[in-house]
Amino acid sequence: MALLEATNVTKTFGGLTAVNDVTLTIDEGRIVSVIGPNGAGKTTFFNILTGIYKPDQGTIVFNGKPIAGLKSNDIAAQGMRRTFQNIRLFNNMTVLENVLVGMHTHLHVPFWSIIFKLPSVRREEQKARERAREHLAYVGLDDKREELAKNLPYGDQRRLEIARALAGEPRLILLDEPTAGMNPKETVAATTLIRRLRDELKLTVVLIEHDMRLVMAISERISVLDYGTKIAEGDAQTIRSNPRVIEAYLGKGAADAA
Amino acid sequence: MTPTVPSESLWERAKLTLNTGPTAYGFFTLYALICSGLLISNTRTSLATDVIFVFFLLLVLLVYRSSTHTFFKLAVVAFQLGVVLPYFGTLNPFYIEVATQAGIFVALALGLNVVVGFAGLLDLGYVAFFAVGAYAWAILSTSQITQINPAWMPLAPSAFYPFLFVGLLLGAITGVLLGLPVLRLRGDYLAIVTLGFGEVIRVLANNLDRPVNFTNGSQGIREIERPNLFFADFVRDTLGWNLTNQKLHELFFYFAVLFIVIMTVLVVTRLKESRIGRAWEAIREDETAAIAQGIPLVRTKLLAFAVGASFAGAMGVIFASKQLFINPPTFDLLRSINILAMVILGGMGSIPGVMLGAVLVTLLDLQLLPRAAAVLRDLQRMGLPIPAAFDPTQYQRLLFGILLVVMMIFRPQGILPDERRKEELAAGDVSVDDDDDSEDDSPPAAAKPNGAAV
Repeated sequence: MALLEATNVTKTFGGLTAVNDVTLTIDEGRIVSVIGPNGAGKTTFFNILTGIYKPDQGTIVFNGKPIAGLKSNDIAAQGMRRTFQNIRLFNNMTVLENVLVGMHTHLHVPFWSIIFKLPSVRREEQKARERAREHLAYVGLDDKREELAKNLPYGDQRRLEIARALAGEPRLILLDEPTAGMNPKETVAATTLIRRLRDELKLTVVLIEHDMRLVMAISERISVLDYGTKIAEGDAQTIRSNPRVIEAYLGKGAADAA
Repeated sequence: MTPTVPSESLWERAKLTLNTGPTAYGFFTLYALICSGLLISNTRTSLATDVIFVFFLLLVLLVYRSSTHTFFKLAVVAFQLGVVLPYFGTLNPFYIEVATQAGIFVALALGLNVVVGFAGLLDLGYVAFFAVGAYAWAILSTSQITQINPAWMPLAPSAFYPFLFVGLLLGAITGVLLGLPVLRLRGDYLAIVTLGFGEVIRVLANNLDRPVNFTNGSQGIREIERPNLFFADFVRDTLGWNLTNQKLHELFFYFAVLFIVIMTVLVVTRLKESRIGRAWEAIREDETAAIAQGIPLVRTKLLAFAVGASFAGAMGVIFASKQLFINPPTFDLLRSINILAMVILGGMGSIPGVMLGAVLVTLLDLQLLPRAAAVLRDLQRMGLPIPAAFDPTQYQRLLFGILLVVMMIFRPQGILPDERRKEELAAGDVSVDDDDDSEDDSPPAAAKPNGAAV
């Protein structure tokens, strides 16, 4: 079943068409990658999906509901969470608090209960903290929960971003270059984690990634963007031998040689 | 360095002894008793009393910072602020006036701290909410209301008590009204617009005497109603204290302010530790990331504005009633800046810090400078060559400015910074210090505060 269907999505900035008539269907429980050279419009496409930008044209249906044009926070509340290409943690909050912020849409005690410190507030807070620690333990950061997010090593920051996204109990998680800047060991750990998200938590995962070894290893489906247009789609084998993809990455000569 | 180590450790040891264990309880009890005794036996307004008064207030801070039992802390503070200070106030009205003013500014600073310290929205027009509360009570409780419509009657003095909630509500509504149009702005732009808003309210107060006289313009409103003293009989007959109405009003305003300060501290603390406080902090840290967690930006920011403004509105009602007279210059830009300075001086985001900042600045304004002026006058009379025109109260802004500059150089995080914020600035220092190269194995976060996720 399709969890996310983006149809004919177009977004222009002035004269630049960043995303051009892209149609993409993501089935539930899949790991899907979006690849393409730098500036191909991948992150813009993510930003449209998550509501940071409004698409100029096209429709996006998530979980059976149209979401194009909705505000970011409403889309997040419907169960779509993301991480950012250039890690955007709440640096001066602790690791645990970062995850607690991620749970915001699941915390409901009203304003007046907080002011009057009703017992329900403490109960919910207690439960939230326990749940947050479970999320942290899942990505292996529970022992660092009291540290400030900015003091974590790079790889841990990436994992914390994933834990924060998990805290929203999403159905779909969008990872924007989850292994960028990682050393090979960290990349392997990240790959395992992404697999576990799908296998254990039954999440649907969409990746933007430049590490082709990772992309080919874990993606069940790959879509290739170039100059804002989707130029190819298919499994790893199809994409690897697609001349348009080779052309986009290596130039026309390389495509001819292949 | 070496010679100072023993004395430092001695100081540390003394600090530890006085702050923990049975010695702490003895020390603070003794301190409280001595200070209270000295204060009550020195009823003249003088330099000596000033010094005792400051030590008296200092105890509140010291006992708060000590590691004694919470009940002991509460007992000491309640004894000091709930018993000794008001009793002393009946002997010398000056000091209870200082304490009341300090309390008003503590509540204002705590309110502004919600907006600036928690949510990170720089508001330079905060005094506008204070003005709204003050003018609302001033207009509705005096004959000013008959200027608007001769058929309307001024509110009865007893309406003051429910009107505190009206002030609270008015502040909150004004906060939301200001918030709605400006929330898409950030940082400097927001600051400029709020500054303008503060001025708009002041100018409105100044010019709304025509065509219909709402505010009596630059003349201000006089003879603002004071609340009726429902407890006067109780105090005079049952407790047997023969106090004048004036003294009872002083006491009343002191306790009213104290009450609101306590409420403010409770509300602000609870919000800070809740999901709402975390959402504010997240927005302050990174708006884009905060929305991506499902935090509704507009609603959360509006809530910060409303909560912050509501305390100012309620305090405005008390202020107008206490002062008996308000006019537009009471609510000028300088006052907004003053409150902001209290927040920054004490430590943005830190509740005890902001309270300390407010008390310090008020003491500086009302006590230190006038006292210095008085001492200088005495010296002049003794024949010392001090120019007659030299009056420290005239240099209040200068001294204040110097104080802020010195603070920003030596302690930018404020006097009593938020526990976590302290850590954050300390960590910042490490990465700035180049000679400290052992710390840099892990690359700093790639995230820039405003790095767009494009």
